Amino acid sequence: MTLSPRKKVWKKKRPVAVTVVAWGIAVLFVVRLYQVFQPLVPMHVLEQGLRRPLLAGLHITPFGNAVLISASYLLQVLGGIVVLIGFLRMRRWAWVILMVWTGFSLCVALIDYFYSRPNYVVMASDVIIALALSQSEVQRIFGIRMDPDEPAQ
Amino acid sequence: MNPPSERPTVPASTPDLELLRRYEPVIRYTKGEQFFPTDVERYVRSCSLWAHHPSGRDQLVVQQDFLNISELVKERPESFGTVHYLRFIEPLSLSESADAIARQVRLRSILNDAFHPGVGRLARGGLLPRVADALFSISFLMRGRVPAAVAAAAQLDYFHMRARNDTFVYYGRVVREKDWTILQYWYFYCYNNWRSGFGGVNDHESDWEMVSIYLYEEDQQLIPEWVAYASHDFHGDDLRRRWDDNKELDFVDGHPVVYCGAGSHASYFRPGEYQAEVNLNMPTWVQSLLSLWNRFWTGALGQEASDPFRIPFVDYARGDGMVIGPGQARTWAPVQIDESTPWVSQYRGLWGLFARDPISGENAPAGPMCNRDGTPRSTWYDPLGFAGVDKVPSPRDMLPRLEKNRVELAARQDELGKLIPKRMEALQQLGVELKSLEGEPHLAREYGQLQARIQAVADEAHAMRRECAESDAVMESIDRRLEQLKQGIPDDPQAHIHHLERPVKIAHMRFARITQAWAAISLSALLFAIVTWLLISPHSLLGGLVLITLVFIVTEAFLRGAFIRVVGQITVLLAVIASVILFLHFWFWILIAALLALATFLLLQRLRELTG
Repeated sequence: MTLSPRKKVWKKKRPVAVTVVAWGIAVLFVVRLYQVFQPLVPMHVLEQGLRRPLLAGLHITPFGNAVLISASYLLQVLGGIVVLIGFLRMRRWAWVILMVWTGFSLCVALIDYFYSRPNYVVMASDVIIALALSQSEVQRIFGIRMDPDEPAQ
Repeated sequence: MNPPSERPTVPASTPDLELLRRYEPVIRYTKGEQFFPTDVERYVRSCSLWAHHPSGRDQLVVQQDFLNISELVKERPESFGTVHYLRFIEPLSLSESADAIARQVRLRSILNDAFHPGVGRLARGGLLPRVADALFSISFLMRGRVPAAVAAAAQLDYFHMRARNDTFVYYGRVVREKDWTILQYWYFYCYNNWRSGFGGVNDHESDWEMVSIYLYEEDQQLIPEWVAYASHDFHGDDLRRRWDDNKELDFVDGHPVVYCGAGSHASYFRPGEYQAEVNLNMPTWVQSLLSLWNRFWTGALGQEASDPFRIPFVDYARGDGMVIGPGQARTWAPVQIDESTPWVSQYRGLWGLFARDPISGENAPAGPMCNRDGTPRSTWYDPLGFAGVDKVPSPRDMLPRLEKNRVELAARQDELGKLIPKRMEALQQLGVELKSLEGEPHLAREYGQLQARIQAVADEAHAMRRECAESDAVMESIDRRLEQLKQGIPDDPQAHIHHLERPVKIAHMRFARITQAWAAISLSALLFAIVTWLLISPHSLLGGLVLITLVFIVTEAFLRGAFIRVVGQITVLLAVIASVILFLHFWFWILIAALLALATFLLLQRLRELTG
């Protein structure tokens, strides 16, 4: 039996941490997608559509509130898809958006913790994403950190 | 490239003063500089002499108008710990201080020679260095400092001194040591106003600066090889540049050009703005904690190291102001000095106000020959060591010295070549003897002794072999260097420099004016915001503090163009805090998970081994 030589490909490779973060975003995407539909199901929106009023005078109705929450999650889902695509294509802006979002999320999670409203799942996932994004290999591949001799992107 | 044959040479018999004049530097000052090299006689005549006693009492020894050089150098026995010092500016009353400051403002408008700092130093550092800077400013309340009015009065007095006699003096000294002829140019300034005039670290009455030029003799000619500029209190190789280092040295008709720091009078080789950093002296335990944190931050988290207790200062050596030197509108009036010059060797006190600053930054310096505490100054008694030239032979001696080294090394290699076989022979002989003792219990003691001898001889042979191998490598290197010298191939003129000080690049900040305004007000605004939050919502102090600080840091980062870096660092910092919290809450489950992971890993390893 002959063994063909191993192919050596010298190209920009995706670090493991990027894949980990991408999976994290994908999981969050699924969770958020569930949260898009969760408030709408009890209101029978899927069967009946948006037939009930969203506002009562200047106040928002419970139905309107459910739609608003669902819409905000939908926005996050759409944002998540865009960031995921950018992240997998290793775009600088995707790293920046993700880091800012993680920083903000961590800040809220810590304040919540000190006010006795801890959300450990969010905290843990944020920690994993933050540490993965801060790896020098990841930062280099996204053009965030450059070696002294490397030309600016 | 500037080979020795193209350098400005002078006959070795040239008189010292002429020699000094031939190589005297051209000094380029920054626009706005207020003090220039002056003569000590005029300065001393404007001063009074004081003694600061260990009890804390200051005693007037000779009052102004009665002091001159011969009076200054008179022997004055005092108890240990007494500090003699001059006062250029007499103690000022409140009204005199106000008058001096007002006159200084008028003088500056008349001179129309204002200094523009450009991107201010506070805008160049982040929020944390600004906090450290505030602590540094507060430290002046607790330590001695030269009052602002003294700087103003000094500028006025010096202006009038120049109006009467506008000469610029340097004190030249010629020293001959080993293969070198050393020319030292000492410059005396009435005042160092780096802090009050240019936002620097310190102010003090009087200032001594020095430039050295090192020449060697060849064919009865003196050839310049090295130039060393004194810069603050630095010593060693980094201070000197080779005469042919055209990237670092500027010349005017064979005279080296010095770019003088505004107010500080430190000397630089290139024009520009130099970042000078001062570390706040923190307690050892704080420094240890910081070092531990930095190790974790850089090693484990891969982040850039930072020192929040480092304060950025800028030394402006732009060279766009007055120029003094040969071929310029203003030239030098040289004065030769040596150990026999009375004021050099006989006055060991300070040349200006003793501000009682425990870290000495605001105390005036002593003369060229002494340190502030009266001990001999190394730049005077060891002019070669000052710039690391003591270990450098002159180019004339380089080749013969290297050849001598080569011969000595070759001789030692020959010797080793004979010694090593002898040791090997002895070793084998002992080995044979040892073998014959085996299995003879009554010879156990002799066996042990022989083993020890064998070990000693083996160690000796091993050391010789190592020396031989290392010397081979050294000889190869020496041969290459010899070849290079014989062929006249130039080597890198900067090879001796460990840390090349370069002017900082002036970053083009976005919203530069807003950034500078922000840099000036940010710290106070942060404190005001915290106070406001405390008054409005004292119950949610923690959330408020976090929110306000984050808003300030992010604004700061955005204005300074460091948004991505700062956001990344903050997020990682928050992640570390969150990790600690998670660990404290779930350490048991984390331990279980880690043990399970370890068990699985080991199981897989062993199974792989088992199944081949």
